[in-house]
Amino acid sequence: MDSLITANDGRDIMPGARALENREYNLFIGPNHPGIEGNFALKLTLEGDTIVKAKTEAGFLHRGFEKLMEERLFMQNIAIVARICVPDPDPNEENYARAVEAIAGIEVPRRAQFIRVLVLELSRMASHLFTFGGHGGTIGLYTMPNWTVSDRDRILDLFEELTGARVYHLYNIPGGVRRDLPQGFENRVKEVLFFIEDRLKEYDELFFNNRVLLERSVGVGVLPQDRALEWGATGANLRAAGFAYDVRKDDPYEVYGELEFEIPTATDSDCYSRLIVRRRELEQSIRIIRQILDKMPPGPVWNKQPNPLKWRVPAGDAYVRTESSKGEYAYYMVSDGGVRPYRVHVRGASVTHGVHILENMLRGARIEDASQIMFSLDACPPEVDR
Amino acid sequence: MAEKLLTQRNAWDRVLSSLKKRSLWMLHYCTGCGAIELPPTMTARYDMERFGIMPMVTPRQADILLITGYLSVKTLKRVILIYEQMQSPKYVVGFGSCTINGGMYWNSYSTIKSLDQYLPVELFLAGCMPRPEAIIAGFNALMDKIDQGKANSWEDYYKNYEFYRKNQQHAFGDIETHHDIPSDGAYFGILEADK
Amino acid sequence: MNKPTLDRANVLARPPAAVGKPRSAADLLSAMADELGIKTFFQKAPRRIEGTVAPELLHSFAANLRNRLGVEHLSAISCVDWIDQGQFELVYHFWSYRDSTLMSAKVRIDRATAQMDTITDLWQPASFFERDIHEMFGVYFRGNGDLEKYILSDWNGPPPMRKDFVSRDFAHEHFQFKTYDVPWDERIQGGYYGSRNGEEKKNG
Repeated sequence: MDSLITANDGRDIMPGARALENREYNLFIGPNHPGIEGNFALKLTLEGDTIVKAKTEAGFLHRGFEKLMEERLFMQNIAIVARICVPDPDPNEENYARAVEAIAGIEVPRRAQFIRVLVLELSRMASHLFTFGGHGGTIGLYTMPNWTVSDRDRILDLFEELTGARVYHLYNIPGGVRRDLPQGFENRVKEVLFFIEDRLKEYDELFFNNRVLLERSVGVGVLPQDRALEWGATGANLRAAGFAYDVRKDDPYEVYGELEFEIPTATDSDCYSRLIVRRRELEQSIRIIRQILDKMPPGPVWNKQPNPLKWRVPAGDAYVRTESSKGEYAYYMVSDGGVRPYRVHVRGASVTHGVHILENMLRGARIEDASQIMFSLDACPPEVDR
Repeated sequence: MAEKLLTQRNAWDRVLSSLKKRSLWMLHYCTGCGAIELPPTMTARYDMERFGIMPMVTPRQADILLITGYLSVKTLKRVILIYEQMQSPKYVVGFGSCTINGGMYWNSYSTIKSLDQYLPVELFLAGCMPRPEAIIAGFNALMDKIDQGKANSWEDYYKNYEFYRKNQQHAFGDIETHHDIPSDGAYFGILEADK
Repeated sequence: MNKPTLDRANVLARPPAAVGKPRSAADLLSAMADELGIKTFFQKAPRRIEGTVAPELLHSFAANLRNRLGVEHLSAISCVDWIDQGQFELVYHFWSYRDSTLMSAKVRIDRATAQMDTITDLWQPASFFERDIHEMFGVYFRGNGDLEKYILSDWNGPPPMRKDFVSRDFAHEHFQFKTYDVPWDERIQGGYYGSRNGEEKKNG
């Protein structure tokens, strides 16, 4: 038999040793790691540095939301529904409220619709800032999280002034929003928008034109453009593959049909293009918020509903979709005429991104890019687990 | 082996506690929805690091286990494994109202309701969720407790191990944690400390 | 690096019916009736069409939706437990990018047997939803080889989303809450605002 290790003079140093036949090994990237905003595990099979097979494991954040929502009244569910997506909670509240309104046929006042869009776009901006920071964290550029998370705090201050809480707002309720804008709020929003626009120039210097980021993320994690629709990509992942599809334009809700904004796309469909698409979406959000503040009509903000303890929503069902910062977010609600929802099904944006698209894309990737690919798909594990 | 009882405090102990409280490393394990308020606390605006508290990635070198929010039963299994790997003295901080009495998910079939039945908890922070200022106030309270020598709940795990183990097994079944807690407690004299 | 320019109409593997001018809801309904032979659909709201499909016809319906009508996106598969009628209702939501319309196909299956054909060979996203419905409701999808426990991997109880499983009772049986024996009454009488038995007591 051939010797495994030979010395220079031909001696067999380890007689009887044989090479291992199986070259693959398993690696378990456990529930907490820098690539994800939550707890999500990956079981990888590696050969050297290259990933051969990936299998995701979710369920660490499972609380049984859909069951909890069936056991509470319609109004009580607003308190818990925001917690389904942790970084971007407002689409949840707005979707839930809109589903109840669609079933019960409730009209929302126009001013409330404008305020809802304002809250949604501010939440989108906060989530994208968090994503930039997190992406920097996965490749070791730790200044970026320090900057963006602190700047995101300015938006959270605005939320605290408007709704009373920084992260989970409980502000959108069926029928409108809970209370009107405080006095002088528009000026404070405009200040924050100017601040973030200025900071975008600094982020460009620090991060988006950074040589390290360009080397590490251009050409990495390519979502093949001919498979993107087949694999169910939505949101910024689909737009970075070249498709200009956005729920705000295709299926307009609230007052998005009256606002002017563009849908940024890219053609390369790698990690860097997804980052640039999100950066351009941030600019478009600033543009939308400025239009809203100019066009906001006066009027009531809540279409008052009957006593929540006895409020029966008529029987029916509705499927409402919205564009959260992660992708297409949808709720399917069924009511049987009682005081509680009969069934609420939450379709998070990450059920396709974080599970099967990730498993497909990790095949053939290198282990040092695994975190970055996971994060650039912007998968949010609480949405997958509910 | 138990020559010095753990409850005595002399000058050297006081020096040690005031050094210990200034470099607590927190295990960076974000278990629940409270984790979204942790990056603001750690980054430039609220800056937890000026107190010496830093995130650490491995449990072997961490002092604080911060349970941010609810724990599903699946995560509880991992948390117990991690807790037993941490070196004493270690402090568990229950963050949010879900660790106190179930919080908002009190009627859920997959989250645990009361953290101190599975782990000895040093400090609870109420809120849903606590603000970064509240987190820092909580950590300051923990630092005061360490300074006074009262932060000894980690010994409780050795002393009442059957109680914790019974509750853990009831929640997620029997697992092998590779740490023999009763014999560790006997070897280091923790079990006889207050006899 | 080569930067290929992407034209929406030239991407491979898009069914040819997916590109073109958007069709109105009425056109879609008549296309469904003529080409697919399904006449149960109706328009419920702007951009929303729904109807019922028999369970054995759903797979061919989905294939025809994709290949002949050019509907490309499977948005979700939901399951509703109608326990009083002894049926599960599976609702398949398809979104057409060309027409900006949602098509919901409702399928009723028997609750006791709870079996259905899979559509993962047509749409890969379906495997997540089918696995989820299998875990939470106990419905078996024939032909799906990936039906294992995913979210509830340590769970030994019944499928939790069924209507005969009450989450509150389960939580009270299996977990212990803290019981509070704080004498609230004494604390409130002492130093808080409150009106007990009609008297106003002030702090002091």
